[in-house]
Amino acid sequence: MNCEVCQLKELEVEHFEIREVLRCILHTIVFNRALGLVRPKDVDLELFEITYVQCGDLELEKKIDEKIEQFISWVEKHPNKKSQVCLSFFEVKNKQPSWFTNKTERLYWEQWYINLNVAQNPKAHSTKSHHSKVVVDPGESASEERVARRAALEATLHEVLFQIVKFVNEKKDHVPPIPNLEGVVSFPYEITIPSSSDSAFGMDMIKRMLQTGHPTMLS
Amino acid sequence: MASSHGNNTHSEAAMKEQIITEFYAKSLHIILESRTPYVSSRNYSGEQALSSPSSSSSSSSSVRPRDKWFNLALRECPAALENLDLWRQSNFEPMVVDVVLVQRRLVSDLVECSPRTDLARNLSLKERYPYCWNYEQEDFWCEAKSEKIIERWVLQYDTRKTRDTKSGSRRSSNNPLQMLYKKSILLLRSLYVTVRLLPAYKIYRDLNSSGQILPFTLAHRVASFAEPFTCREDAEMQRFEFTPVDTGCGRLCLSVLYCSSLSDVSSEPSTPMSPQVIPDYVGSPLADPLKRFPSLPVTGSLSRATPVSSSFSRRHSWSYDHGIDSPPSVSFSPSPTRSEPHASISNPRSRHFPPTSLPRYPPETSLDYKKDVGFYEYCPSPGFSPALSPSASPSLPISIPGNHVSKNLLRSESAPVSAPVAKRANSPASSQKLNFPPSPPLTSTSSGTFKTDKATVGTSVEKLFSFGKGESRQCSGLKISSGGSPQISFSRSSTKSFPDDFDDSEYPCPFDYDDDVTDPGSRPESFDQRHEPGGLFPIKKSQDAAVGALVRMLKKAPPLRQEVSDSVSLSQGCRPEMWSDGKQEANLSSESQAPVQPADSSTVISSGLITSKTTADALEELQSYRDIKNSLLAQSSKSHV
Repeated sequence: MNCEVCQLKELEVEHFEIREVLRCILHTIVFNRALGLVRPKDVDLELFEITYVQCGDLELEKKIDEKIEQFISWVEKHPNKKSQVCLSFFEVKNKQPSWFTNKTERLYWEQWYINLNVAQNPKAHSTKSHHSKVVVDPGESASEERVARRAALEATLHEVLFQIVKFVNEKKDHVPPIPNLEGVVSFPYEITIPSSSDSAFGMDMIKRMLQTGHPTMLS
Repeated sequence: MASSHGNNTHSEAAMKEQIITEFYAKSLHIILESRTPYVSSRNYSGEQALSSPSSSSSSSSSVRPRDKWFNLALRECPAALENLDLWRQSNFEPMVVDVVLVQRRLVSDLVECSPRTDLARNLSLKERYPYCWNYEQEDFWCEAKSEKIIERWVLQYDTRKTRDTKSGSRRSSNNPLQMLYKKSILLLRSLYVTVRLLPAYKIYRDLNSSGQILPFTLAHRVASFAEPFTCREDAEMQRFEFTPVDTGCGRLCLSVLYCSSLSDVSSEPSTPMSPQVIPDYVGSPLADPLKRFPSLPVTGSLSRATPVSSSFSRRHSWSYDHGIDSPPSVSFSPSPTRSEPHASISNPRSRHFPPTSLPRYPPETSLDYKKDVGFYEYCPSPGFSPALSPSASPSLPISIPGNHVSKNLLRSESAPVSAPVAKRANSPASSQKLNFPPSPPLTSTSSGTFKTDKATVGTSVEKLFSFGKGESRQCSGLKISSGGSPQISFSRSSTKSFPDDFDDSEYPCPFDYDDDVTDPGSRPESFDQRHEPGGLFPIKKSQDAAVGALVRMLKKAPPLRQEVSDSVSLSQGCRPEMWSDGKQEANLSSESQAPVQPADSSTVISSGLITSKTTADALEELQSYRDIKNSLLAQSSKSHV
């Protein structure tokens, strides 16, 4: 049983863009993995000229938003850090009914790593750019820069979405059979954000790897 | 795929076939749903309901059988459904879906001195009329249209290479059918996402959500073969190939060729609208009389002979625009041949979702057939209509006197009808052919024969403007543009042309004197004149304020004849008779032209109607306006220069 891992291209975002960017990516991934009856919902991003697709499942939406909020507050506490959000899909299997435990086990079959680089306060940027324009007042050049930066992010986000599409297309074999469950999102999933104790994030992952025994996880 | 199980082979094969068939269907549905404007449920409540009545059901939670396929519940997309039925019998032929960007070239081609955005902006002043969509109108634009395939989706079931991809089925694969189904679902999910990531989706989105009238639209063609691209086209295209789904005895291959740069188009509509005057636009060739009314002289003579047709040729049906339910139908009484296609077109459903596919260039034997050609050949998406609709819708009714006339204001108008006549006038020999509007733009005939369409385009543009701010005003019609922000530009095209066209002829209309006056400044009424290139108006850009003030003044100014505007609807009744005389028609239309002003369309109507008004009266009025204008000019030049 293999676990496919997709490392998405890193995105340079500003603080206020985190929410939209993450929503867009997370929903897109989940939509591609929601094999239950889906009534898709198109959502236009406000900051970017991008439309992504949601499953139209309120619960999912709520869960994603919750996680994003957690992530944002984590980012606030840990500025200037590259960070990862991981979306994993797994199957729940009963562990072998051994005589001392009857725990269930998560078998991860796919993990997506969303890599974000939350940029500094934009003010820092504008000061740097002073040399570029001579006459133009700083406000204007700053806004120009913002536009350029936004465009770049939009392009990268677009790339990331295509990356998702390609991945999803290429890797189909590892996806478990569609469970006969009601509901839109057919596979259990989890969204992992860096935990509050900074270093524990990596530990978490390692722990999980050990637990689930997926050597290919980070390949 | 794993081995097929012996006993079940038969039913399995049948199921497999069904999955493949449904896969075709779903793919097409997904593609067209996001490429056919006004069909999706992107926040179109009312309009959408109008354009596709059945679509409302999609928002409900009921699950239709079709939705269950691949666990993907899609919105209603009649365009797709129509094609699907054809495909179900097609034995897995390849399916090629071309998404075509149709641009109104008139803007760029005709309007030499004004950037394209001008028209976009002007057009967008108008509110859209998504449901007033009309094939006939399509025809008017056909010369002005340019088409470009911006996406080509190719779905084929490739049975030749039964390449053995046993890679799969590591996990679940007990059942090859399940595997096939699951992979199909996965592929369709990613298709759904991809369709929204491609550049064409922006166009679709703009068309649907902007609320503006855009100089382009999307159309699609579905066929079982692909016309080869030219090298140049090919070079522009990027390819995205979905990973084929193995069915065991073949592969489902889906790929798309798409234009990666459509920015020039899609960025246009984003230009923010402002009530700014666009100076260049005034004198634009759009307003060029020769282009716009090439057929008028001809129609004049024609109409002398056949009064009925003259009514068709009338291009300036201002009064009808605002008319309520006058009985213009009488004058219109079209020949049965013509009315027939019209009638069928006017069926909202057929209008919106014509079958699109297959026979590409059938012989144009009969009118009706011709209509079909139009449908097949080319399925303009309803989104196109908004731009044209105000004038487009009017055309419908003509053919069906008594049918729509009283119901729909829009329908009582006649402008579009003139097109056929114009065409006939131009090329009498081919009148039969040309009679029917929805000519396939792709056919060679279209570009050659329909020269006059430009004229109609102009007309429809005017009519857009004459409508003023929105449908809500249709009924009141009289003070359409009296809104807060004077958007002068919109009246421009209309005013300009006629004077030039007929400046040497005899006008009964007092205002026509203006046209002979060399100083454009002396025409206080028509703003456009001032903004013509080369016009005397000194300030090009920043005169908004002055213009605004002028407009306000004009608005406040008493109509030339108050009672006239009140009697518009009445006058409509008698209008048709006037039109029966070709010459008078020209005069009338020119009359209606001259006074056109953004501020008060009622004036248009009234002046057009009242031929009894003497020249002296008009001159008097004119003089007073001129004074106002001069003072304004003085003011503005003080402030701006």
